Amino acid sequence: MLERPELFELAIKIVINGLTSSLVYILMALGFTLIFGIMRIVNFAHGELYMIAAFLVYVLAGSLGWNYYLVVILAAVTVGLFGAALERVLFRPFIGRELNGMIMALAVSITLQAAAFILFGPEDHSVERPVSGVIQMGTVMVPRDRLAVGLIALFILGLFYLFMRYTKAGLAMRAVVQDEEIASIHGVRPRIIYPLAFGLGGVLAGFAGALMAPIYTIYPYMGAQPMLKAFIVVILGGLGSIPGAVLGGVVLGLAESVFATLINSTVATMVSFAIVVVILLIKPTGLLGR
Amino acid sequence: MKMLLKRILAVMLPTLGLVWAGAVAAQTETLKIGVVTALSGPGSEWGLAMDGGMKIAAMEVNAKGGLKVGNKTYKVEVVSYDDQYKAALSVTGATRLIEQDKIKFVIGPLGSAALLAVKPLYEQNKILAIIGSYTNKALDKDTKYMYRGYPTQTEFAGPIVAWLKKNKPALKTIAQIDMNDESGWGAQKLVKEFLDKEGYQIVSGELIERSLKDFQPVLTRILATKPDIIETGSVPAATQGLIIRQARELGFKGQFVNLGGPGVPLIVGAAGKEFAEGLITYAAADTSTKAFKDLEAQYAKVLKPPMNEFAVYFYDGARMLLAAIQAAGTVDDTDKVRAALEKVPPFKGIQGTIRWGGMKDYGSNHQILTPIFIGVIKNGEQAILGRMD
Repeated sequence: MLERPELFELAIKIVINGLTSSLVYILMALGFTLIFGIMRIVNFAHGELYMIAAFLVYVLAGSLGWNYYLVVILAAVTVGLFGAALERVLFRPFIGRELNGMIMALAVSITLQAAAFILFGPEDHSVERPVSGVIQMGTVMVPRDRLAVGLIALFILGLFYLFMRYTKAGLAMRAVVQDEEIASIHGVRPRIIYPLAFGLGGVLAGFAGALMAPIYTIYPYMGAQPMLKAFIVVILGGLGSIPGAVLGGVVLGLAESVFATLINSTVATMVSFAIVVVILLIKPTGLLGR
Repeated sequence: MKMLLKRILAVMLPTLGLVWAGAVAAQTETLKIGVVTALSGPGSEWGLAMDGGMKIAAMEVNAKGGLKVGNKTYKVEVVSYDDQYKAALSVTGATRLIEQDKIKFVIGPLGSAALLAVKPLYEQNKILAIIGSYTNKALDKDTKYMYRGYPTQTEFAGPIVAWLKKNKPALKTIAQIDMNDESGWGAQKLVKEFLDKEGYQIVSGELIERSLKDFQPVLTRILATKPDIIETGSVPAATQGLIIRQARELGFKGQFVNLGGPGVPLIVGAAGKEFAEGLITYAAADTSTKAFKDLEAQYAKVLKPPMNEFAVYFYDGARMLLAAIQAAGTVDDTDKVRAALEKVPPFKGIQGTIRWGGMKDYGSNHQILTPIFIGVIKNGEQAILGRMD
């Protein structure tokens, strides 16, 4: 039986683990929900945008030795541009047609995984971490690399909030999410908003992939789990709801951390789905969905 | 006249050419050997080793003109299907090999759940298979057509645990981490028996999902039990590296032991040289030998490096299979070939003598018995601490 100080230490660890996971889930989920909210496309290739960014880090920072932080920005922007190109070339015909868009997204996902498999092989690749070691806070040890990822993710989320809140483009996107027709009447041009949304969603997924590349290993199918988490977070928070994605990410990250630490990871996965089921039964549109 | 001669030659020469090609083809046929294993995803380092071992053996035989069986010569062709370590895909791959490709000899699968799923297929269709998998349920007294191509924890865990007890007596408590599937359940239960026998106190027995990469929560729980040793039996190599790194970052200063599949380069890659230092591991091969390095050079011709040590087992296993087909004088009668396969040992493998055994543990002599090595990671490389023949 754990003593009170040990319980307190355990609680701190659970919260830190949960919040660092939450921040990455939120990065993924925001991009995913933004694309759905504006274009009504369930982008099942979102995990592959995460994967592409990770492989860019592997090639540029890992193999060519470029500065890691510059590569993170470059990877995110590259993936964003790729996302915008995908929208223009492949997804534009399916805007508003959810089933068709979903199928196209699945096809893109499988194609990108296969391409990564052919280029890089099936094995796991590792990238040297830019930051290593731990910070000791009393008896609690926090890995520096996780802390760095958490702080950078928080900064990116802050920038995203400012963009959506205070820029014309952000305002236009929020208007389209709420009501595309009314937004259009007020002069918002969808043909500019769609690639911008897809590109911005790609940038967020790109940041998540590039930041997590040194933390875990990199392989062609690595996008599947983050995609699944993003999907759960978005359903939990409400499809198309940006504040919902943030809340959903925090709920999922903390719930997983609690149950994985106190019981095991299998129960944690089960509980995360159970929470989604319960919330959807009570509120079918999700926590903050409309 | 000249024109007529030209026309006659224009018709006859290609015709003669076709007849000649047909005659050659009639003498050289194709013997297809199937591979169904994890060629992608977690565990693929071992699956690719199975595939590579078979391909190298095929390449060598073909370079010498083919496999002579009876009065025919066969070009050996390897047909490989990826089961991604999943039972359903393994059944699909095996079914395709048997029904569509009409193959009678198979290497794989790797995973225990996959193996149990295809076992009835192999036995009912008389498919002679050199299998992987660590589960004890793979072989029993009724197994006829399946032969396990590498040693399992039944063969190597006991000696390594005994070595650990003798050489590091101060370490008394152990936490086990395994995959939450058939492979992991079997491995954990089996290793637990050896640990109990040597008097270790097992303070934690965790089962993790194959897709998991963030081990902070599970390690937080494990480290609260204060183990001296963390043992990562059935966990894939790169994932082991992540566990090691994350555990060290959470403050674990104890001993890591790997009693599962080998993969030092992937472990070091994921953990980092500093954190992987001192890991005691089951080693499938002495990677410093010329024979191993020659095999690595051959592997690079068939698959992308690096080569996992498991390739040694399946290269030897493939050569034994081809030798058995040759000795049996048939590529169709798997009963004759398996009788010949059982007579092939003692076989000169690239690391020493190998033979069939396992009657005491499994009820049949279908388990390969090979030299086993205990390794340790020093400065990012595997060094051999001991060898057991």
